[in-house]
Amino acid sequence: MSTAEDLPVLGAPVDRVDGPLKVTGQAPYPSDVDLPGQAHAALVQSTIAAGRITDLDTTEAEKAPGVLAVLTHHTVPRLPRGPMTSLGVSPPAPLQDDRIRHHGQHVALVVAESREQATAAARLVRVEYAPADPVLDFDDPRAVSVDDPWGLDSHRGDVDAGLASADVTVDAVYTTPDNTNNPLGLFSTLAAWEGERLTVYDATQWPAMVRETLAEVFGVPEVSVRVLSPFLGGGFGAGLRAWPHVILAVQAARDVGRPVKLVLTRPQMFTSVGHRPKGVQRVRLGATADATLVAIEHHSTSLLAVEDDDYEPFAAGSAVAYACPHVVTADRQVRANVPAPVSMRAPAHAQGNFALESAMDELACALDVDPLELRLRNHADVHPALGLPWSSNALRECYAVGAERFGWSRRPARPRSRRDGHWLVGQGMAGVSYPWYQAPSLARVTVTADGGATVASSGMDIGTGTYTVLTQLCAHLLGLPLEQVRSDLGDSDLPEAPQAGGSGLTSALGSAVADACERLLGALLELVRDDPESPLHGSDPEDVVAAGGGLRRRGDPGRGETYAAILARHGRPQLGADGASTPAQPTELGMALAGAFGAHFAEVRVDEDLGLVRVSRVTTVIDGGRILNEKTARSQVIGGVIGGIGMAVFEDTITDPTTGRIANATFGDYLVPVHADVPDLDVTFVGEPDRASALGVKGVGEVGLVGVAAAIANAVHHATGVRVRSLPITLDALL
Amino acid sequence: MRTFSYVRAPDVETALRTIATEPNAKFLGGGTNLVDLMRENIERPDVVVDISRLPLTGIDELPGGGVRIGALVRNSSLAAHPLVRTRYPVVSQAVLGGASAQLRNMATVGGNLLQRTRCLYFYDEASACNKREPGSGCSALGGFTRNHGVLGVSDHCIAAHPSDLCVALAALDAEVEVESTRGTRRIPLTEFHHLPGSTPHVETALAPDELVTSVELPAPVTTRSRYRKVRDRASYAFALVSVAAALEVRDDTVTAARLALGGVAPKPWRATEAERVLLGAPATEESFRSAAEAELASATSQDGNDFKIELARRTIVATLRDLLTDRSAA
Ligand SMILES: Cc1cc2nc3c(=O)[nH]c(=O)nc-3n(C[C@H](O)[C@H](O)[C@H](O)COP(=O)(O)OP(=O)(O)OC[C@H]3O[C@@H](n4cnc5c(N)ncnc54)[C@H](O)[C@@H]3O)c2cc1C
Ligand code: SF4
Repeated sequence: MSTAEDLPVLGAPVDRVDGPLKVTGQAPYPSDVDLPGQAHAALVQSTIAAGRITDLDTTEAEKAPGVLAVLTHHTVPRLPRGPMTSLGVSPPAPLQDDRIRHHGQHVALVVAESREQATAAARLVRVEYAPADPVLDFDDPRAVSVDDPWGLDSHRGDVDAGLASADVTVDAVYTTPDNTNNPLGLFSTLAAWEGERLTVYDATQWPAMVRETLAEVFGVPEVSVRVLSPFLGGGFGAGLRAWPHVILAVQAARDVGRPVKLVLTRPQMFTSVGHRPKGVQRVRLGATADATLVAIEHHSTSLLAVEDDDYEPFAAGSAVAYACPHVVTADRQVRANVPAPVSMRAPAHAQGNFALESAMDELACALDVDPLELRLRNHADVHPALGLPWSSNALRECYAVGAERFGWSRRPARPRSRRDGHWLVGQGMAGVSYPWYQAPSLARVTVTADGGATVASSGMDIGTGTYTVLTQLCAHLLGLPLEQVRSDLGDSDLPEAPQAGGSGLTSALGSAVADACERLLGALLELVRDDPESPLHGSDPEDVVAAGGGLRRRGDPGRGETYAAILARHGRPQLGADGASTPAQPTELGMALAGAFGAHFAEVRVDEDLGLVRVSRVTTVIDGGRILNEKTARSQVIGGVIGGIGMAVFEDTITDPTTGRIANATFGDYLVPVHADVPDLDVTFVGEPDRASALGVKGVGEVGLVGVAAAIANAVHHATGVRVRSLPITLDALL
Repeated sequence: MRTFSYVRAPDVETALRTIATEPNAKFLGGGTNLVDLMRENIERPDVVVDISRLPLTGIDELPGGGVRIGALVRNSSLAAHPLVRTRYPVVSQAVLGGASAQLRNMATVGGNLLQRTRCLYFYDEASACNKREPGSGCSALGGFTRNHGVLGVSDHCIAAHPSDLCVALAALDAEVEVESTRGTRRIPLTEFHHLPGSTPHVETALAPDELVTSVELPAPVTTRSRYRKVRDRASYAFALVSVAAALEVRDDTVTAARLALGGVAPKPWRATEAERVLLGAPATEESFRSAAEAELASATSQDGNDFKIELARRTIVATLRDLLTDRSAA
């Protein structure tokens, strides 16, 4: 049988189904949850970046009013590290010894009756250190480095020969600073033990992983751990790991025998839950006079914590961005006494694309061709490494539609040729090929006696719209109105789904939901087919569709019955089915799996006297495959572009060069765009459903951010003639 | 837990009496700075005297054309007041250039004068800071200095004063009226804040028991005045450099100039050198540039704030040029 006739519900710009809950303050964000009898915890963090704790005196803190316990490396049992994940090793377990590996490392946790008491007592913990000279930057000769940490270095053809054959070359070094994810919601963990059963309300993007980690670290079976994250005040990657503070909250709850709640402070959000690491990239490009790329060489070095992993292959994307015979990409990570970095929205690609797309602009200038023309001439019609056709690719359309909407053809070729009073006006662009990512997922769909349906999954909605698109999808597939479908998400007791990350959740979880719907309809059909009382008795599956809240004869909607009627007659309160999805395999399909593609066109105004950069216009066109909801998808891209503006001109996490302390760990000092910095953003979707995905969906959570920094940097060059190769582009570079 | 007592002063007299008798008391205006500092354990008063209900909220015209602004006038009311907007546009613009709408609705004039530096090391208890703990050292030296001063700084402290409003007040020869149980006195705004020298913890001329009651602006020498704030983002950021300027030109010659700088010094910086060069000079870009050069001649910088010297020069020139050419500023 097939599923519903096309209802307008799929793809439609439906309002968020969880919107009313959120705007009325009823959505339970992690820090909103309280349990009876809970205690509160506050962290004590290291004030040196490297060395040892020589003395840790908790006497005064323990005597302070309301204090229940002070956890230190003397009290916390030896805990194993959590499991390996697709993002590398788990963070080191906290409070295991006297070693300090970065400024802001947790050295104690104070538990008290109230948050204020815990915070006040945390100030009374006396810590003496034997500081060592920290490694804080790439160029420190003591730094240990890891080559090709992700096995993604690539090599094809002969780059030296390619460069030698080039008529024009570009060789440039680009630097990007530390950026901090900075979700608005402070991360919070509330842990409660009942015997060996553990319940944790956690600010995570990956409840299933946190469950597995806590089970392993605390030596309890996975089934006895439940992790809940139904709502999150943003994550941008910060919620992709079970961080040390999560382990500490759980340990504290075990120690005091009460639920314990730990809410990080804003400064702690800069040191405890990751950041985008800074990096240096060298790009060499070679092209023949007719603007054909003959060589791409892209090397990156980025910072890593001394005992942790971070998925950050900056250069890897350059291997597949353009058709080019000779390519080398190589990534290196250097260990330093810095807080652990983590994926931040479009990890690695945000930085790598900035370098590559800036270098392409430099190459266009050197060749004296239009930057858009250069990209079109070297467009990767097939996957450059595999030689396979793409499962979908509308990058050319992104360029064409974007150029048209932006008015690119009216752009003068020469830099510094347009002005408006004291403002120099410039335009730049960048292309984006975002990688495909998907992980296996499960989901369950259940129809209930009231005739409605419920989707259930451990996958969660970071605010992107997962609740909404799954509800739409299920409603569409079961022929139900939206109001009759509910999605329950973010609960590790529900069927396991992967992380809300890598722009891969909608496709993975959506496909599992589609599979569950199909199985559910099959099971329902079996019920009615053999049921002489059903109007569909004896129907051939091919002749039945899901519509009007139940099963109907194709072409004869009057003949059919609702799910409620079917369940009632069979005396069932509900009927559910499990669905699964597995990632496609390119070789089996004979196709290269495509992620989203995109193009950004940016206009900037630069004050000629003062160097001020203001972004005045951005046009973005995205090929995200099939768009399940125009509105939430557009919001994702708009948010991505704003993140890209931040990366381009504001965001800079500053590490004090001597102490290793993050100096600007507040929202007053770490600048992100405010409304006045964000012009109207023009976002358009193009492309076809992806052929390798059951739903035709490609993720759009990250692609909107990638390329914005390069488009802006290129526009700054076009405005001023000054090439800024270091982010953020602040006025001092343009004075 | 640190406890403190909270007293709401019903009238000025009670406020003054309380502050005079309590050894470690602080006035609370809008609380937008004091409360933050208390949270960070930087300010630790035993008594907080809430003055926000005192009747010091008037903006009144003075005989002779000046204006008296009550110390408890909210920043937003100040910026919106017709007298201020028409006679002292620079004041209105400076206030609106600061903080956010929400903060301006809370912040008071007195509190704005007494807000403390945003130096990132001042805010961190674990960092050495002569301002917070005299004699402990200055962590900013050799550290991150993008927001620090280049004029009037010392080896003991290079912090910049963060206020926008004060820069405009400094340019306009404002006077601060203060009161204690000992009486009333007036302090020119340019003498209200101290340079750090070897005592960066002594920030103002205000005695611990004195209350700011009002700020007086003399009649404007010209209403052609303007505030230019240069900052990384378009709104809601402290100044990297700011310029408050008033300029009167007759027959292409500068007949009056008032100039002050923000973001570059430990106090609102009245640019007397530049004013000296400008007065009587032809109103040209060259004169503006010479004035700017003269003012910044004594500047000293760190690696991280070297750009501010040239940025300050250029902002002075740009602001004066705008005043000269923009008829709407007249
Ligand atoms: C995020 C953020 C951004 C900001 N951005 C800017 C900016 O861009 N530009 C800018 O200029 N400012 C900015 N500010 C600072 C803001 O302007 C000040 O915090 C505000 O003006 C202080 O006024 P208040 O009434 O809240 O002072 P309070 O916090 O109440 O008091 C500050 C100090 O003044 C003392 N005090 C208050 N009133 C009196 C009085 N009448 N007599 C004697 N002592 C008194 C208090 O005891 C205290 O020591 C920002 C603040 C924040 C938090
Ligand atoms: S500049 Fe001044 S306020 Fe900042 S650390 Fe140094 S002494 Fe303290």
